[in-house]
Amino acid sequence: MISAVDITKDYWTEGRVHRVLSNVSLTVGRGEKVALLGRNGSGKSTLIRLLGRVELPTSGIVEQTMSVSWPIGWAGGVHPILTGNDNMRFIARIYDKPFDELKAYVEDFAELGKFLSEPLRTYSAGMRARFVFALSLAIDFDCYLIDEVMAAGDQRFQRRSHEELFEKRADRSMIVASHVAEIVKSYCSRALILHRGRSKMFTDLDLAFDIYNDL
Amino acid sequence: MFWRGFQVQRRVVGALLIREIYSRFGRETIGFAWLIAEPLVFAIPVLFTWRAIRNPHEHGLPLMPFLWSGYLPILLFRHLGGRALLFIRANATLLYHRRVTIFDVFLGRALLEIGGNLTALLVSFAVFYCIGEMEVPKDLPMFYLGYFYMIWWCVAAAMIIGALSERSEWVEKIWQPYSYLYLMFSGFFYLADWLPLGLRNAALYQPYTQAYEIIRGGIFGTTVRTYGDPLYTAFALAILTVLGLWLMHEARKFLVLE
Repeated sequence: MISAVDITKDYWTEGRVHRVLSNVSLTVGRGEKVALLGRNGSGKSTLIRLLGRVELPTSGIVEQTMSVSWPIGWAGGVHPILTGNDNMRFIARIYDKPFDELKAYVEDFAELGKFLSEPLRTYSAGMRARFVFALSLAIDFDCYLIDEVMAAGDQRFQRRSHEELFEKRADRSMIVASHVAEIVKSYCSRALILHRGRSKMFTDLDLAFDIYNDL
Repeated sequence: MFWRGFQVQRRVVGALLIREIYSRFGRETIGFAWLIAEPLVFAIPVLFTWRAIRNPHEHGLPLMPFLWSGYLPILLFRHLGGRALLFIRANATLLYHRRVTIFDVFLGRALLEIGGNLTALLVSFAVFYCIGEMEVPKDLPMFYLGYFYMIWWCVAAAMIIGALSERSEWVEKIWQPYSYLYLMFSGFFYLADWLPLGLRNAALYQPYTQAYEIIRGGIFGTTVRTYGDPLYTAFALAILTVLGLWLMHEARKFLVLE
C-alpha cells in the first residue's frame, strides 16, 4: 500500500505562493494500477515526486508499506556526465543488485549497444528515457511510479515495455501519469483527475476521459 | 534495524564517493592521482614562494611549519565550502533515489575532500621533512586533535554555507570575499599570543582560531605560548554542527526540481 493523505504542495515563484496541489489524497493497494490524468502543469509530476519522496509536501503525509520505485520519467535519477555503464554501477551499488545482472538486463532491454559506454548527455531524449526505464525495471519494486515516459522510444520499444510492465509485472502496483487513453483504459482500474490543484477519483475510465478531454 | 540502516548508508555513501571521483576526475588513473596532487599543486609553490620572500623566522618561529600548518587548513576550508555552494541543487537528480539523502551526498563529498587534504598534508610534510624544512610535531596527539577540530569546523561550516546557499543567492556572492577575508582573521597568519589582549580574547571565540592554536601548540610544543581550549572548541563546534544539520534538513523543503 502507498498512500498520500491530504497533500498540499506550494511553490514560491518570484515571491508569490503558487499552490500546485490542494488537499489531494490517494491510496493505491498492492497490485493496483492507477492513472493520473490532467493537463500540463496540473501537478501530475509533482504528485509523483511527492509519492516517491523526492520532494516533501508543504502539508499532509505520504506513507507506504511496499517498496516504491523512483519517479521514472524524462529527468532524474541518473547523472548526465557519467556513462551509461557508470550510471548502472551507481544504481547497482545503491540498490544492492549485482552489476552483471543489471547490465545484462539493461543491455537486452534498452538496446543501446555501444552507447552504454558514452556519457548520458550524448543520448537523445528517447534513448535516455529507454535507458532510465530499463534501469528501473531491472530493480525489483512493488510499486512503479511512471511519469509520461511510456510514450518514449519507437513502436518496438513501446511494445516491449508494455509487455515487461503490464504483463510480466501484472502483480505490481503502478501509478502512471499518461495521456494515452489506450494504455490507461486497458490496464488501470481507476483514474485520478487533477485540475487546478484539486483532485477527483474515477472508477469509470470512459467517464474520466470524457471529463479530461473537456478540461 | 539500526544495523541494516547503517549498512545501507555505508553502501550509498561509498557509491556516491566513487561517482564523485568519476564525474570530477574522469575514469583514468590520472584522475585518482589528481585527487591527491590537486592540493599539492596549490600548496607547494605557494609555500616555497612565501619561504623565498620572507624571513625564514617569524616571531622567532621557523616559517615553513608555520605556513604549512596554516595553509593546508585554508585549502580544506575553501574546497569544502566552495564545493558546498548549491550542492543540493546540483545533486538533485541523486535525490530521486530515496535511499540517497542530502546528508549522504554531503558526506560523500566531504570524505573525498578530507581524504585528499589529509593525503596532501602527509605528502607535503614528507617533502618538507626530507629537505630539512620541517621536523616532526613536538606534541603529536595535540597536533592530531587540532587538525581533527579543523576538519570538524570545515565540515560544519560547509553544511551551513551549503544549506544557506539554497535559500539565498547572496550566500554565493558573499562566499568569495569571505573566503579571502578568512585568510586574514582565521589564525593562518598569527598566533593569539601576538595579538593585543582585547583582540586576542575576541579572536579566541572563533573555533577555527582555537583549532589553529591547538595545531601550533602541537607543532612547536612548549617553545610557544598557545591558548587553545579543547573543551570550548568541541562545544562551539557541536553547536555549529547541530545548526548545520538542521539547516540542511530545512533546505530540503526549499528544493525545487526540474
